[in-house]
Parts: sequence; structure tokens; C-alpha cells
Amino acid sequence: MCNDCATSDLALLEPVFSEFEGDKHALVTILQRAQEIYGYLPTDVIYRIAERQGVSPAKVMGVATFYSQFRLKPVGKNLIMLCKGTACHVNGADSIAAALKDELGIEDGGTTEDGLFSLKEVACLGCCSLSPVMMINETAYGSLTPQKARDIVRRIAAEGVAS
Amino acid sequence: MESEIVNLVIDGKAVSVPAGSTILAAAEKAGIEIPNLCFMKELKPYGACGVCVVEVEKCPKLLRACATRVSEGMVVNTQGERALRARRLALELLMGDHDGDCQGPCKLNCPAHTDCQKYVKEIAEGRFADAVSTVMETFPIPASIGRVCPHPCEKACRRRLVEAPISIAQLKYFAADRVRADGNAHKVNVAASTGKKVGIIGGGPAGLTAAFKLAQWGHDVTVYDQMPEMGGMLRYGIPAYRLPKDVLKAEVDAIAALGVTFVNNFKIGRDAEFSKLRGWFDAVIVANGAWKSSGMRVKGEDMDGVWGGIDFLRAVAVGERPDIGERVAVVGGGNTAMDACRTAVRVGAKEVYVVYRRTRAEMPAEDIEIAEAEEEGVKFKFLFAPDEILGTNGKVTGMRLQVMKLGEPDERGRRRPVPVPGKFEEIALDSVIAAIGQRNDPEGFDDLPKTEKGTIAADEGNFATSLNGVFACGDTVNKGAGIAIGAIAQANEAALAVDAFLRGGEYRPVKPIVSERDVTERDFADRPKIARAAMPQRPAAERIRDFDEVNLGLSAEAAMAEAKRCLECGCHDYQDCKLVRYANLLKTDTKRLRGAFHTGFVETELVSIERNQRKCITCNQCVRVCEGIAKKGILGLVGRGFATVVKPEFRDSVAIAGCADCHLCVDNCPTGALRLLAKKA
Amino acid sequence: MRIVVGEGSCGLAAGAGKVHSALSGLGVDVGVTGCIGMCYLEPIVDMYDGERLAARLVRVKESDAGRIRDAAKSGDLSGVEDLRISAEDEEFLTKQTRIALRHCGIIDPESIDAYRAADGYKAIAKILGVDGGAGMTPEAVIEEIKTSGLAGRGGAGFPTWFKWNAARNAKGDEKYLICNADEGDPGAFMDRAVIESDPHSLIEGMLIAAYAIGASQAFVYVRAEYPLAIVRLEKAIKDATAANLLGDNILGSGFSCRLRIKAGAGAFVCGEETALIESLEGSRGMPRLKPPFPAEKGYTDKPSNINNVETFANVAWIVLNGGSAFSAMGTEGSKGTKVFALTGKIRRGGLVEVPMGLTLRDVIFGIGGGVRDGRRFKAVQMGGPSGGCIPESLLETPIDYKALGATGAIMGSGGMVVMDDRTCMVNMARFFLDFTAKESCGKCVHCRIGTKRLHETLVRITEGKGREGDVELLEELCRGIKDGALCGLGQTAPNPVLTTIRYFRDEYDAHIREKRCPAHECAALRRYSIDAAKCKGCTACARKCPVGAISGTLKSPHSIDTAKCLKCGACAAACKFGAVEVL
Repeated sequence: MCNDCATSDLALLEPVFSEFEGDKHALVTILQRAQEIYGYLPTDVIYRIAERQGVSPAKVMGVATFYSQFRLKPVGKNLIMLCKGTACHVNGADSIAAALKDELGIEDGGTTEDGLFSLKEVACLGCCSLSPVMMINETAYGSLTPQKARDIVRRIAAEGVAS
Repeated sequence: MESEIVNLVIDGKAVSVPAGSTILAAAEKAGIEIPNLCFMKELKPYGACGVCVVEVEKCPKLLRACATRVSEGMVVNTQGERALRARRLALELLMGDHDGDCQGPCKLNCPAHTDCQKYVKEIAEGRFADAVSTVMETFPIPASIGRVCPHPCEKACRRRLVEAPISIAQLKYFAADRVRADGNAHKVNVAASTGKKVGIIGGGPAGLTAAFKLAQWGHDVTVYDQMPEMGGMLRYGIPAYRLPKDVLKAEVDAIAALGVTFVNNFKIGRDAEFSKLRGWFDAVIVANGAWKSSGMRVKGEDMDGVWGGIDFLRAVAVGERPDIGERVAVVGGGNTAMDACRTAVRVGAKEVYVVYRRTRAEMPAEDIEIAEAEEEGVKFKFLFAPDEILGTNGKVTGMRLQVMKLGEPDERGRRRPVPVPGKFEEIALDSVIAAIGQRNDPEGFDDLPKTEKGTIAADEGNFATSLNGVFACGDTVNKGAGIAIGAIAQANEAALAVDAFLRGGEYRPVKPIVSERDVTERDFADRPKIARAAMPQRPAAERIRDFDEVNLGLSAEAAMAEAKRCLECGCHDYQDCKLVRYANLLKTDTKRLRGAFHTGFVETELVSIERNQRKCITCNQCVRVCEGIAKKGILGLVGRGFATVVKPEFRDSVAIAGCADCHLCVDNCPTGALRLLAKKA
Repeated sequence: MRIVVGEGSCGLAAGAGKVHSALSGLGVDVGVTGCIGMCYLEPIVDMYDGERLAARLVRVKESDAGRIRDAAKSGDLSGVEDLRISAEDEEFLTKQTRIALRHCGIIDPESIDAYRAADGYKAIAKILGVDGGAGMTPEAVIEEIKTSGLAGRGGAGFPTWFKWNAARNAKGDEKYLICNADEGDPGAFMDRAVIESDPHSLIEGMLIAAYAIGASQAFVYVRAEYPLAIVRLEKAIKDATAANLLGDNILGSGFSCRLRIKAGAGAFVCGEETALIESLEGSRGMPRLKPPFPAEKGYTDKPSNINNVETFANVAWIVLNGGSAFSAMGTEGSKGTKVFALTGKIRRGGLVEVPMGLTLRDVIFGIGGGVRDGRRFKAVQMGGPSGGCIPESLLETPIDYKALGATGAIMGSGGMVVMDDRTCMVNMARFFLDFTAKESCGKCVHCRIGTKRLHETLVRITEGKGREGDVELLEELCRGIKDGALCGLGQTAPNPVLTTIRYFRDEYDAHIREKRCPAHECAALRRYSIDAAKCKGCTACARKCPVGAISGTLKSPHSIDTAKCLKCGACAAACKFGAVEVL
């Protein structure tokens, strides 16, 4: 069906389809599940979801590109979510962002060449008292300074994958 | 419920509509237009464009007319300052991200806004008569203007960024020649007579154009000219090797055939006083041109053997062979200087110099004219200015030239020539032709106020003078002499003004608001290069012997191929575009709120629909008809916020597989972002 | 003694999880509670002697586990004396009045029994008449809420009873109740705290609302960034269902209500109720035109009612204590209490719930302790991207929907971000417009392109490329966007710009005319130099400079090559002598 995209194991989607069978309004949830399975939303997965939900691929693409949670490309092993909430902004999130971008050599939304890190600036993580904050793979790191942020990333890189 | 009627007031007008109607529908019933860009009767109101906002009494917010239901006693104001401000801002914001390219740069840069792109396309399609008709919507003498125009259109042509501009001027006269040769002349519809009489003084490009327009509109037009034939400078200034007299004559005759009366050898002041002539007509246009050569203001210029450029050209044009001797210097760097030097060669001069105080790069003459003069043996003396005409017994023997160098740029950016102190050069000459400019002759028009330059003062918009019913245009007014198409542009405005005047109104031109695009070479990097058509010419050695036309004209094949090079910049949808219509209606500044821009692509690949992302205003109309009416849902919005675009691309074969080619999306696009192409094979 | 660790997201981020594991390995009874709201003191460990809170330990580290165990086992608290909360810090709580947060940080959020023990589910039992009482009609419930004066806590402050009543009166046999837990305002986290710390009070509030409007289907739309909240709410729903507090024929009353969680997927605009509905339906969260309002046509075009978490968290309390007890607090137009997330350059940051009518100064200085690091208070940002910056001169403004609205800011969901003299107000406006421009759904022109242009203009100004007339351009755009935008996001997006222009016009002028950022925050306008008198020549700055812009030899004053300088500030951070000056 899809000429120029990844070939994913679409069978993994079947339990998700069964769970939401007949639910016309489950598209966002199905996409969330699919992203949990594949780490991102490959094109063939999007086409399959469209087919099974009885909607056009354009509709699924529209939803997948509307919400910032969804990714159309794979992410690195460690996803750094840097909070750009107001409290973090006031407490210097921009300088943390600059340090991380410099350290990793990537921009917001990018993934390092070795596939180890992806950087994503996010709206408030809700840990404002610890600002500036970043979250790497569900672990929050607070009260950052540019140097502290660099050190954390270096440590994770040295360990390979964060625990 | 259905039959319940609601009464409301819109812009002071009482309206009664069924309950449940929207303000938009009620306004429509009352004959009041509320602009809107995303509304469609067949679909649920969407409310994205924000252009239909109106004020409703006692409501603190602006309301969207497309979605707000009427209620009893509602008082709506569609023209309130606040609503207009929000509406205009919406349009300015849209224009700031809309690469509309409403009109091609060729058309925009033509002083008369001739629809070049349209007639070039017609030529590309072999529809030569249509092409001539298109030109004649603007002026009546395409074969003549095509030959002489310095074509500002080509200077703006974006094909220049690929390799070279389209030969727009040559295409124009090709089509005109071809149609005349085929006996396929353009049919002009003349309106029923208005009984009004218009007198036009001057039968040059301006006078002829005004006569052509006014005659079409049913007025009785008489054109007076001091020379024996009509055509003005086209006949008496432009040498025949550039514009053969019969070509011009045929176009003049076609104007006469509309019922225009031509009176030649008639000079104001000599044959009739201007005030008297005014009495013969309901309105008068003065378009008597600029027929006096400017002097060089150097010692010795009153000697025998010193000619004014246009005086010399006129003498040749009426059939004289002026005795200019063997060694001739033409002073000046414009097209008249080129006409004069090349005419001097043809009259028999052996050594012809062009003396110009700057360098070739600064010469105002067309490059091709300079090159052709060089081919014909003319020698150029750059960075020289006449210092004194030398002579004995009142007869020219030579000229002392001051050596110049280029100094600081002037206000137009051209470097100013400055004398090199004490450096001079002398050349031996039999005559000097001063082609450095021309002025109008105000004699006989004492009643008309003049500018500081001595030209007739006319309104820059409608070319009315301070005398009731007297209009003036062309080289004789305001800034003075310019190019023919410039005079034609003024004549068109003056004709509209005269027509309005005769009908008891007043004409004020409105500059149309358009969305223009800024482009660079990079935008066309992927275009294959196709050489510009070469104009076949007679060899120099042959052509200097006579006044026959130098250019031999393009073949039909060459012309069509040339026309096909056109990039078709101007928007196909200009006439129907709602966005540009509202922009004009609300006097919208199209560039004020520019910023980040949707660049994107033009898709033409797979279906018979072309989509141009640069023109899309994300009104979502196409997406909604595709889903809601065509029931296909092929199109959708992708991304969020400013980055939102309509997808999929029509070049994605999988994504568009279900397209029914119903074109509802194209039909409902308020701009030119979508376009129907000829069916793909 | 029983030990309870505060494990909200904030506490966990501060290391509460590690403290918990360290303690549980030591054979003591370790319990969990949610967020007490004293975020600045996390991790917090409470020691209970029976039901009595014997000691509250703050800023606890893993390494403290041993002595905490010792203290718990022996009952002798002297070993943890240094960890105990100070009297001053205790005031942070004692000065508050907690209704929405009444159980937060006290009960175990994962235990339905703990909630029931704290009068949980008594309100719904009272309404349904299953507590032996007469029960309440839906109309009576709505009347009680009307008496309370409760207004929507999500931002707009619309009377809750009115919405319930509209939904109740809307025609349709199927109605929906929706909880908006898509807490999108950066700097606000009270909804997350409530769900993480007291999920059953949300469920009970929703049950009451569902009963009042006649809905048997309910959704909680939770922000995807709140995984812990989702986990705890899922458990709470499961437990409540098992206890027949959710589902069919609740407590045998005949009233049924099913509650489902839908996770958002990251779109601020989904806080707008019609966008939220689109999102619930699985579509792009693009707002719909209103009318029709959701009460008439909401989820799947059925009558729907949407309230936010904090609103629901007040409902059970109101039913149990009476609407007039609630309306006894507050001002003429704003009743009850409001929760604020106090953050930024504040000494004591966290969640604060106070009666309406207190002044901003009471909250920021009285409870929050004012600005930290001894700096000067400059402004407080309220209402997030839809709100505005309130200057010091307006600190006596009472917490009241109308009074706050008059400042140009809004009550909003309760984010209160404090700024000191190092915060650039132009950059603040830029920050918010960056946010709204990115979060604009892209539907309407005024918001889609207008916020983009606002942001571009602000970027230009902060980069020192501002032009005369830019402020006027901003004002014009703001006015037009407020008028023309389709939904609340766009209509309020100009507020941060308008309020900063209104109160800090001089900062805009300094950027535009003098190419100077008075707060020294805008990097493009910042210049670093070394004060030779203070420089000891330690070379620390030169070693930290990433581009080698600092020269100088050991023990002699250094200097910065401004042409090379990236303005990263590493030198200033490295200098121990305060010799690096920012100009």
C-alpha cells in the first residue's frame, strides 16, 4: 500500500483494533497506543489505522500532526523533554536549551546522529518549583544550570542508556 | 416554527427573514454584501476567515455573520469602524502570507498595463487574432508599438532569472503583422452615437489611442495634426528602417475606419485659435507632443551644420536628404541619438560619431540599438562632452570635446560625469546633430496653465487641465517627453476622463491593489534553459544602403515557441479571486504584515488539479467540500498553527488514489491556489 | 510511628521516590500521600503518631533514611530535628484555607478507604438518599451550587450552576459530563495536584454534576504529560467502580454513571471546550463556532457540560457543608477559595489555596515570602498565556474575577509566576507569544497569522532590531486579534503583550530606541565586561569561555573580546569575585 515507507509489523496493532472496535471516536487513543508500540507513527501504520477506522489517511495524518505528542519519525534512545513553561522561562530555561543544543549538536525536535538523544522542548511539565526542569525518559531533573544539564547528558551518554 | 419571521435592521435597512437565518443570509436578502472567504451555503458555517465580522447593537463582541442567527429587533452594522478594522486586519494578515502574484510583472511594469501575459499565451496557442484583440483592449497600434517600444515589460519579465526575458514586444508585432497579412483584422464594436464631439490635437500615439477609445464609446472624434500624415513621432521621429511607414499607415487607417475624422496640416494658432477650436467640441484633448529639440548650450551651436536630433529625423522622414556632409557627430546617448546616427549613415555620411559624456553602461538607449549602430559602422566616443562647436564663416568644421570622468552617483544612482580639468580633444566635422532631448511647443496654448518646465499642467490622475472640458496628455504635459507607451497610458486615462466628463461625471483612477511576489534566481533554479528567439535581420552592409526594415520578423513557429517560454506568473484566477476583490474593496495594504511565509510547491503531477501552496489561505474550503460534499475526504489539514497546510499533495499517488476528479475543491477555492488543468493523458 | 512520603510529581522529581525506597528497605511502615503543595520543601516526609502529625520533615535526602527510621522506632525526634519544618515555613500552610485541596498531601491518594474515612462519598450518598436521608433532586443540587456562588475555576469564571442548568434543560436523552483536566497553562499545576493527591474528590464532584445535569456518561480529559495523574485516576475509577460508586445503579439508587479517561495528546487549545470536544471525538482539536454551545450540542452533538478539575473538587464540600458556607468566603462577585500555583522568583513556591478577596500582596508576600535572593519584585504573571503581568503598584488588587480583569490580566486557572528585576518584560511577552503562536490551532486567520506576526515583532525587538512604531503595530495587531479571533485562545493571546506595554512601556522603548535591555536578559543586547579592580586573575572565566574570548595572564586582570563573545554568561557564572559585569 505504501511505496516508500518503513515496513512495520502491523499485526501488533490488532489487539488495539479489537479493544476499540466500533468506537468511532478512538482515533487519538489508537494513535497513542500505536506510538507506544512502535515508538513513533510509521506511515504504513497510519495507513492501516485509517483503513481499519474507516477514515481517510488525510484525516489520520491531520490528527497525527496536530498534537505535539505524536511523532512521525523515530526518536533517540533517550528523549529529553525540556520544560519551557513560564516558571522555567523565568528561571533561565533558554540558557539550558542553548547548553543542551550545543552539547548534543541538535536543534529542538532533532535526534543525535548516534541515535542516543532526542531533544524536545515542551510546554509546562508541572514541576515549576524545581524550575528549570527537564525530563529524560520519565525521570525529572530539576534546578538545572547549563553545566548541570550538560553533566547529566554526558553521564547518560557514558552509561549508554539511562535507567 | 418554519414560517416564523424575524425582523431586523441591517445598515439602516429593515429586513424580514425566516427565523434561524444567519445575518449573512439576511444581508444577502437586503442586497448588502458582507465579505466572506470560508462560507459555503451547502456546509456548516466554519468561521475561520473572520472577514464576515459585523457589529450588532448591544453586543460587546464582533459577531461572525456567517454563523450568527438573527433575532427579533437585532440592529446590525456591517460597516462599523471596529468591524472594518478587524476585517481589514484579517485581509492584511492573509495577504501577508499569500503569494498571490495577481498580475504578471510584465503587465504591472507596462505603463499602460497591457495584458502581456494574456496575449503571449494566446500566441503560444496560435490564437494570433485573439492576441491582437487583447493588445487592442489597451491601444490600437500593436504593429507599430511592438517595433518601437523599449518594452518595460521585458525588463520586468521573470524569465530573465532563468536566462532571458520573453520577446514580448516582438511577439506583439508578429501577431499584428500576421493578422493583417491574413486579412483577419480585429473587429471593433462601436457603441451607438452619444452625439458628443471630441477634438484631439495631435495624432501621435496619445492622440490616436484617445481617438480609438472615444470613438469606440460612441463619441464623434476629430484629430488635428500639424503634419501631413498621422502618427506623430512614430512617423516623423522613428526612422523607417525601424518602423516602416506602411505598417503605421495601416494602423492609422484602421482607426479612421471607426469613424474618426483626421485633419492634417492643421496647426493651432495658425489655422485656428485654440479658444475657437474649443468652441467646436464638447471636450478637447491636447496631445501635441514635444517637437522642439533641446539645445546643447555651447558656443557655436547656432552655426550652419548644427541640427536638432528630431529636426534631422523629421527632415529625412518627409523625404528630404539633408546635406550633412561626410563627417557627422551625434551628441547624446538615448534612442533618438541612435536613430540619428544610423539615419546619418543611411543618408550617406562616411564617418559618424556618437559623443556621449558617460560610458556605454550608462547609455539610456536600448542595448540592441547600440549594437546595431556599431554594426553599421558608427564610432562611439565615450566620456566626452561638447565644449564648443568650431567653424568658419558660420559653417561647422569641427567640435572641441571636454574629456570627462565618472564621479559620484546622482539621485538615480547613475554616476555623474565630471570634467577632467584642462583635458580637451578636437574632431573635424561637417555637421553636429544634437540629440539630447526634446521639449513641447506651448505656442498657441496660452490659455492653459504651464508647469515650471513649460509643459502643460494636467492632473496626474485624470489629465484634466484647469480649463473645463480640456484634457492634456502625452509628451506635452507635466514631466514632458517620455516613451510612446507612457503617452498611451496617459491617453487611456484621459479618454476615460473625457468619457466620464461627457456623461456628466468625473473620473478618478484607482490603482488596483495586488499581491506581488519577490523572486530571485533560486526560485527558478530547476527550470530548463531555453534560448530566447533570435530576430532575423538583414546584414549591416546591406541595410545601411536603404531605409527598409532591418528586422525581418519572427516566423509563426519561432513566435509560438518563444511565447511558450512564458512562466505565466500572473494568477489565472485574478478576475474571480475573492481575496483580491476584498483587498481592493477595503483598501488593504498587501505588504504591511509580511513575515514568515509559506513557500512550498506547485503540484501538477497526477490529477488534473494544480495546487499552489503559496497562494493557499488555509480557509479549508477544499478540505470541507471534499469531505462534506464529494464524500471523499482525500484532503485534510496537516500541522498546526501557522504551519498548517492542506494535504495530501496531489503528487502522492497513494493518497490521492480516490480522487473522483470532481473539481469541487477547485470550484470553491476563493483564491487561485487550486486550478483545473487540461486532462492528463 | 507511621511514615508518610509526599509523592506527587514534584516530590518525586525532587527525589521522594528514592527516599521512599530507602525507607522501605529499613523495615518501617511507609505510606504514601499526594502533594501538600509546599513544593519548595520537597521531598517531604511526615511522621504520624497515630492520627497526630508528630513531625514534618522537609528537603529529605535518601541518606536521611536511617535516622528517620531510628526516630520513628524510638519516638525520639531529636535525631531529625534539623529536618523539621521551620515555624516560618509552617505559615505557608496555616495561612491558607483549603477546600479544593482539603485532602491533598494528607490522605493516601491510592486508597478509596482513606478518602471515605475523610468524609469521602458522603455528599453523593446524601444526594442519592442512600445515607438514610431524603436525598436531593437535581434541581436542589443545582440550587445549592447556585447558593455557593461557585464559578468555573478553569479561567473564564462562568457560574457553574448556570452551565449545569443549561445542560439539564437541554433537550436530549443522552447527555455527557466532561472534566477538563487538560491543564495547559504553563506555570499552573493545581489540577494535576488534585488528581494525583485526591482523585476520588474529583470523581465524587463529577458524580454530583452528572446527577444534576442528567448525564450517565462522563469523561476526564487529562493532559498526556501527567502520567502519574492518569495512573492514580485509573486506580481510583477502578476502586470506585468496585465499590459501586461508579457504573450502573450506584449504591442501589437507580442512578448510573460511567466514567472514562481520555488522555490528551498535547495541544493547549484543547483547554477550549469546543476544541476539547473535537479532541474527545478523535479529531484535530480545532474550536467550533459558538453558538451552539456545548450545553446544547457538545460531544457527538449531544448536550454536554464541561468543568475543570478544581471546580469539581469543590463540589462535594459544598454539598456537605452547604452552599452558603462556601459563599461566606470571598468578595461580592467572587465566592469561595481559589488555588494558585505560586512559582517563579518566589521564596516559597507551591500550591496556595486562599479565600477570594485576599490581595495579591497577601499571597505573594504573606504566604510566598516575597521574592527570593533579596531581589526586587517587578511583576506577577497571572492567567498564563491568556493573562497578563501585574506590576508592583497593583499588588493591593484583591483576588476577584472583576478586579483582576481590570488590570488587564485574568484570574485564569491560577498560575502566579513572580518576576524580579532580572526578568525582561518584553522577553516575557515574546515567551508567551512564542507559546500561543505554536499552540494556535491554525483555524482562524487572526490567531493563525496574527499571533505569528506578534511573535515576529517581539523577537525583532528583543534582538535589538526593533523599529519606531513597533509598539503601535503590536497594539494594533492585539486589538484586531482580540476582536477577530474565533476562540478564547486567540481572543486572549494579546493580553501578555498589552499588559506589558501598559505597565512596562519604558522597557519596550529602551529596547527599541536605545537597543538596551534594562533587565539584561535579552542576549543580543547584553554585553559582558570584566571589572579590573575586582578581577583577581584566577583564569576561571577564561577556562570556562567556550570560544576563547577572554584573555589575560594569571594574577592579572582579564578582559573580554566582545567581538568573539557569545554572551552565554559562562564567565559570570564562573567568577567567584563578581568581577564579570553585565552591561
